Amino acid sequence: MTLGLTFELAVFGSFIALLIVMGFLLYYFAVDYKRNLLGEVSSALPKKESNTVLSRMKRELSFSAFMMDDSKSIGIRYLITSLVLFFIAGLAGIGMRISLWFPVPSFLTPVQYNILLTAHGTLMLYGWATGSILGMAYYLLPSSVKLKNDSFGVVSSIMYWMFLVGSLFIIFSKSTATWYFYYPLVDQLTAIGGGQYSFATLIGVMLILIATTVSSVIFLRMIFFDRDPSIRLSNMSLFAWSVVSTAFLIIASAPVSIIANGFLIYDNINPIFFQAGNGSALGYAIMFWYWGHPLVYVAVIPAFGLIYEMLPRFTGTKIYSYKSGVLSLLMLMILSGTVWGHHLFNSGLGTVWDLIFSTTSFIVAVPSAISVFNWIATMWVGRVKLTVPMMFIINGIIDFIIGGVSGVMLADVGANQLIHGTYAVTSHFHFIFLGLTTGVAFAAIYVLFPTLSGGRNYNVPMAKVHFYLSTIGTIVMSGFWLVGGFAGMPRRVAGYFGIFQTYQDAAAVGGVILGIGFLIFLINFLYSAYKPVETNTSNILEEEVTS
Amino acid sequence: MNKATPIALFLVVLLAAGGSFVWFVEQPSSTSNYSATYNSTKEIVLYANAIGWNYNSSNPNPTLYEKTHVLLEFKVIEQDNLPHTLTVNPGTNESTSNDVFNVNIPAVTGTIVWLNWSFANPGTYTYWCEVHPTTMVGRLVINASSSNGTNASAVPTMQPQSPSLVSYSNSIYQPVSSRDANDEVW
Repeated sequence: MTLGLTFELAVFGSFIALLIVMGFLLYYFAVDYKRNLLGEVSSALPKKESNTVLSRMKRELSFSAFMMDDSKSIGIRYLITSLVLFFIAGLAGIGMRISLWFPVPSFLTPVQYNILLTAHGTLMLYGWATGSILGMAYYLLPSSVKLKNDSFGVVSSIMYWMFLVGSLFIIFSKSTATWYFYYPLVDQLTAIGGGQYSFATLIGVMLILIATTVSSVIFLRMIFFDRDPSIRLSNMSLFAWSVVSTAFLIIASAPVSIIANGFLIYDNINPIFFQAGNGSALGYAIMFWYWGHPLVYVAVIPAFGLIYEMLPRFTGTKIYSYKSGVLSLLMLMILSGTVWGHHLFNSGLGTVWDLIFSTTSFIVAVPSAISVFNWIATMWVGRVKLTVPMMFIINGIIDFIIGGVSGVMLADVGANQLIHGTYAVTSHFHFIFLGLTTGVAFAAIYVLFPTLSGGRNYNVPMAKVHFYLSTIGTIVMSGFWLVGGFAGMPRRVAGYFGIFQTYQDAAAVGGVILGIGFLIFLINFLYSAYKPVETNTSNILEEEVTS
Repeated sequence: MNKATPIALFLVVLLAAGGSFVWFVEQPSSTSNYSATYNSTKEIVLYANAIGWNYNSSNPNPTLYEKTHVLLEFKVIEQDNLPHTLTVNPGTNESTSNDVFNVNIPAVTGTIVWLNWSFANPGTYTYWCEVHPTTMVGRLVINASSSNGTNASAVPTMQPQSPSLVSYSNSIYQPVSSRDANDEVW
């Protein structure tokens, strides 16, 4: 026994030693890389000024970014990390789909299924959606507001490492409490309860939320105080406006969830805050959804901003109405903070509250529709160039309409009684998250590809295959979920009644198609990155930069 | 872009995604923590009270004699508005490092927590409350049932000492399924 322990310690110790050595190597590579970027003159500048110069350059993907703390490097860190987390969570999702091919669990036991379910939900929302948005904002904001003072490098860097450690906590804890961690399940630290290390997931989520909140403050500082005087608020890019909206939303709601998660962790030691017996378990649900619903908009609003930035370039016109775009983004910020109760229609908030939240949920469709009509009008007056990013954008708009309309149906109290907890809900948010959030993020990655790869073009046929497979996969999977959900197919269970097998099998086929599509993206990335340099490194999202 | 960056990124994505998937579906290392197959059930009533698990009798913490491959239905009734846990670990010392299970009992009088478990291995176990480890601690002796539990009607080797509050329901025969043991509990 002692031998085994010593051997494990030796392996663990060598691993840590290897990491430290790699860290040192990476540091010296990064110093070298930075000197190359800045040239002899600027590398003598104080760090604050050299960071400002670096953050206004066009920058490629590099692991040296992990040792540099200008905004662009932080953005590259978040983009790399969130992509890795996307593939981790995506594989977990495909595993669940395959396991649901037969009604009786065959491939995964219920515990394994619940671990994958929790990992998929938590990593997709906190790792991919939040992480890619932080990445895009850090990467694009310095260009779009012509940042004149990049002074929060150390804080941003610390927040990034907290984000990374939080993600690792989520992966390693193998919680089975699902992404909303309802009490009392989350505090039952057993394999058949919330998972033996469920509290570690709570710590991970807290770290990510703190990172997100502090980064939001930094974004607001960049936009309102550190932008170039030539950029006025009235002609600031709509992506920057979407970041303003997102940042205010995060600052207003995330701290509530941080506190609630802290309460949950304390309840492990001494259950006093949310007790199942006296009804305050609902208190946790309220505190969670006060952040949980804005999180959904946090994942969507920056995608709106990216569409507003990219769409005019591919239609050859200006955006149809800049002012209504800003109005829509700011209305989304205010209204989306008032709708969280629609997740708790069946939890006993009372009829009056249910109707209030139902009404606000209907109203929040208005700013979303303003944006959608704005995009349609822009495409109407311009000439649409069907490049791959544009195809992703158009598909994102279509998927957002489908998902949005089914969301309005869910916002009806009566209909919600029937389809609450069914796959109709899953379908609703997968249409939006896969079509809009993920689709537009990948559109932006394709747009940024020449810059990120240092002057290479992606392989267009492969990118189109990626687009078609991911689109068909999304529509098949979420479409059959929608139909099955209205037939009463319950979600987040490892098995199901045999009458739903058609829907589940079709969704499994869709999920596998989706997975193959994103695998082709990876292969395309690898293939195209080794092509010879053939183009300049400019892209339409940062073309205003004067570096 | 550095020559090594794309291939390194590609490998990181593949290794991270594949490794995480293996990590997620890997069974917990101590498989003994899973409930065993069973073909009969027994109800055990415990009272979550700081005086003792069976507070209202002369023997507040009775030694329970049970058998392997019997589904023990622990019915824990909260009595005193204080937080308690029902923790069971092998051996005669209190320990949480290798506990069989560990559940929180909500601190509201009248709350009932059910926990179903069947032991695969005979031996002496300790059942106790982490909050009150000196007053709420007892022994749970698991004897091997003959021929892997199929003989459900066999008389226990020793009778429990305080049957007044620790009630036992009669064994109900249930056929042993050939499938995974986890399915039976749920």
